[in-house]
Amino acid sequence: MYLMIGLSLFMAIGFVIAFVWSIRTGQQEDLITPAMRILQEDEKTNNL
Amino acid sequence: MYTEVLEEVICYHCGDVCLETPILHEEKAFCCHGCEQVYELLNDNHLEAYYNCDINPGISPTDKNFDFLNNKAFRDRLITFSNAEFSKVSFHLPAIHCRSCLYLLENLQRINPQIIKTSLNFGKKDLTVWFKEDQLSLGALATLIASLGYEPHISNAEEKSQNTNQKQLFLKLGIAGFCAGNAMLFSFPEYLGIEDGSLQHLFGYLNLALGSVAVFYAGSDYFSNVYAHLKLRKMTIELPILLGILVGYGRSAYEILSHSGAGYIDSVSGLIFFLLIGKWFQQKSFDFLSFERNYKAYFPLVVTKIANGVEETAPLEEISIGDRLLIRNQEIIPADAYLLKGQSQMDYSFVTGESELIPIQAGQSIYAGGKHLGEAIEIQISKELNQSHLTQLWEQQAFKDPNHKTENWENFANKVGMYFTMVLLSLATIAGLYWYQVDPSKWSNAVVSILVIACPCALAVSYPFALGHGIRWLAKFNFFVKDIQAFERMAQVDTLVFDKTGTLTLQSQKEPTVHFKRPLSDFEWNAVYSLAFQSTHPLSKQVKKLLPHCSLIPFEDFKEISGKGLEASFNDLPIRIGSAKFTHNQLQAPEGFISSETRLFLSINQEALGFIEFPWENRPGIEALLHRLRHQYEIHLISGDKKEHAAHLLDWFEDQDQVKFECSPLEKMEYIQALQKQGKVVAMIGDGLNDAGALKQAQVGIAVSDDHLHFTPSSDAILNGSELPQLGTYLQYAKFGLKLIKASFLLSLVYNGFGLSYAIQGNLYPLIAAILMPINSISMLIIATWGMNWKGHNLMQQKIRLKAE
Repeated sequence: MYLMIGLSLFMAIGFVIAFVWSIRTGQQEDLITPAMRILQEDEKTNNL
Repeated sequence: MYTEVLEEVICYHCGDVCLETPILHEEKAFCCHGCEQVYELLNDNHLEAYYNCDINPGISPTDKNFDFLNNKAFRDRLITFSNAEFSKVSFHLPAIHCRSCLYLLENLQRINPQIIKTSLNFGKKDLTVWFKEDQLSLGALATLIASLGYEPHISNAEEKSQNTNQKQLFLKLGIAGFCAGNAMLFSFPEYLGIEDGSLQHLFGYLNLALGSVAVFYAGSDYFSNVYAHLKLRKMTIELPILLGILVGYGRSAYEILSHSGAGYIDSVSGLIFFLLIGKWFQQKSFDFLSFERNYKAYFPLVVTKIANGVEETAPLEEISIGDRLLIRNQEIIPADAYLLKGQSQMDYSFVTGESELIPIQAGQSIYAGGKHLGEAIEIQISKELNQSHLTQLWEQQAFKDPNHKTENWENFANKVGMYFTMVLLSLATIAGLYWYQVDPSKWSNAVVSILVIACPCALAVSYPFALGHGIRWLAKFNFFVKDIQAFERMAQVDTLVFDKTGTLTLQSQKEPTVHFKRPLSDFEWNAVYSLAFQSTHPLSKQVKKLLPHCSLIPFEDFKEISGKGLEASFNDLPIRIGSAKFTHNQLQAPEGFISSETRLFLSINQEALGFIEFPWENRPGIEALLHRLRHQYEIHLISGDKKEHAAHLLDWFEDQDQVKFECSPLEKMEYIQALQKQGKVVAMIGDGLNDAGALKQAQVGIAVSDDHLHFTPSSDAILNGSELPQLGTYLQYAKFGLKLIKASFLLSLVYNGFGLSYAIQGNLYPLIAAILMPINSISMLIIATWGMNWKGHNLMQQKIRLKAE
């Protein structure tokens, strides 16, 4: 029982750290461009 | 692949209608050499896919030279990082608009190998470039980007974004959400009524830890804001909220530590989470727009200085009295000065709003903000930059204090908050004292319940949500409102003041009318076209537009006479265009109010032939707008122009006192001030050029702009020109938003009233109060969101219907 509580706390804190890290490194700053970027065609690979 | 059958030829690159004879290249039509060159450049670098992402995606390029960026002052400001191998720079490119832009700009390294890589932020329209600076200078890089059609916007030193602020809020929001969610988990046994002594205590302590983080970290803004306002002896809505939070938290801490109960940390942290969502919602910002430009944005960033006979470029900040500057055609005078050499046609329309050109001879003084037309001139600066005629306007009070609107504005929430706090505190005190006397076991319950249940979180939630949604909807209609305070002020406006030129009227899209005594031959038309082609006068440009099918023919003895017109001989046939006197035309008595400035007269072989009339025209839909508005608002018209230019508008302004002509920018501002002294809430609608002061002074300054991406003056809201006829509808929408808030506030008062009546009697357990509180918040959130979206959808549908008709 206490193990489970400990584990859940551990996971929750892990998520918080991940969240803080994502904000700090600016991953939430631009949510539009990557979505557009992935739709670009890589038509040039054959030329290289 | 793309052959034209229509008369209108669309440029393959930029999608504009070709006004002059299109340039054909590889069977594709281009409106100008710039577009053609971009196409060639892209083709040579195998970037044709640019044209596949979107139809006619390009932007007609500028040939502006950005070499001035190599100047150390600019370089140091723009380059964010530099080492021996590469430098990193960010440009703001307002022209970014589609997937093709992304494709091209992220493939820049293929055009120039000195560019290492590029990364685009589409939302902010920012491009970050890593490049080898030792082989490609910053100026050359910017010029390259500009030559593709994406002219970088180089900002003044002062313009800065408030990015860190938003990051902080995100962090707090995430943490608060985390605390609220987990606190609920730990309170779950409590919800179900499971009693297990040891776990209960452990969960209690965990809850307390979470709650402390939520209150003291995520909610820290409330502490600092309330403290700051109390120091100013002001009470805002935040005070009772903080009180509710603190009392709830304190009570929970007591219960948990004394093992007398479970507390209700879950509700407290949930509330903080909701409040922060609201805050985040109201912070919705238009990163790509700037609402805070000052006069410096109008001026060139660099000037050409003549020192010891040598021309050199210098940043604008570095010029001082006595400097000699070289001003080329179409350049703007940066400070008050004397004309030393040459002669100029000065276009002061930016400063005064008057459309006539003023001829200036050597020795005369010229004022900052004028646009020079003609051959290059030399001027000597006579006043410091910030003391010139134009910039004095910005020294007015309205400009000095950036917060003068928000600070002096008693917004609804804070007004209510003040009374609310006082009533609440006295109620809690009375109830507490009463129960202390009657039944001491109940007094703490009563006080806590009152403070928690009456916490005006409903208002604090519904206010940002309703107004935030409002802003979002208006932005869909190309009406960008700066913040929710501006939106709220918009709802309370009762007087509208319109600027004329550029706002209500536009240089006509309608065909100019030709009033010649006899029809002209093709040769004569070509001659007129060729003559007009030589000049940058606004009317000449209009002529070029009017005659797209004419071609240039050779001529001799060309003369441009300032303020009069143009003259040249075509096969020994002298032809003049210009003013009536210059072309020996009899100036007829003006019919109605139409002025002669918009007429271009013609004489061939000294025979007066008549004129072409270029009408100024009301923006489409203006009459209907004024017609509708004048029933709901008091409407005024102010203009820097002469009265004659506005005859077609005067019918809509019943009272002649409400119309004022020949106003200087300062007079416009004073006009607004006078209205405000009468207790009116004024919205100024202008183009933001010569009425910047008035925009700033009015409670709501709405800048009407046809190109809001390139030019956005300092204002509270930016309205796309084509949306102006809908202005009334949008103002109504703002009113609706405020009504919605008031209604939901009333509802929550009723709801709180029930709770309070129990709480005062000491019968309401704090736990129930704490459950009621988030339910209340959620219902307010739903009402605000649903209401504003419903109305917004209605507007959208109405618009679609209008368009279909």
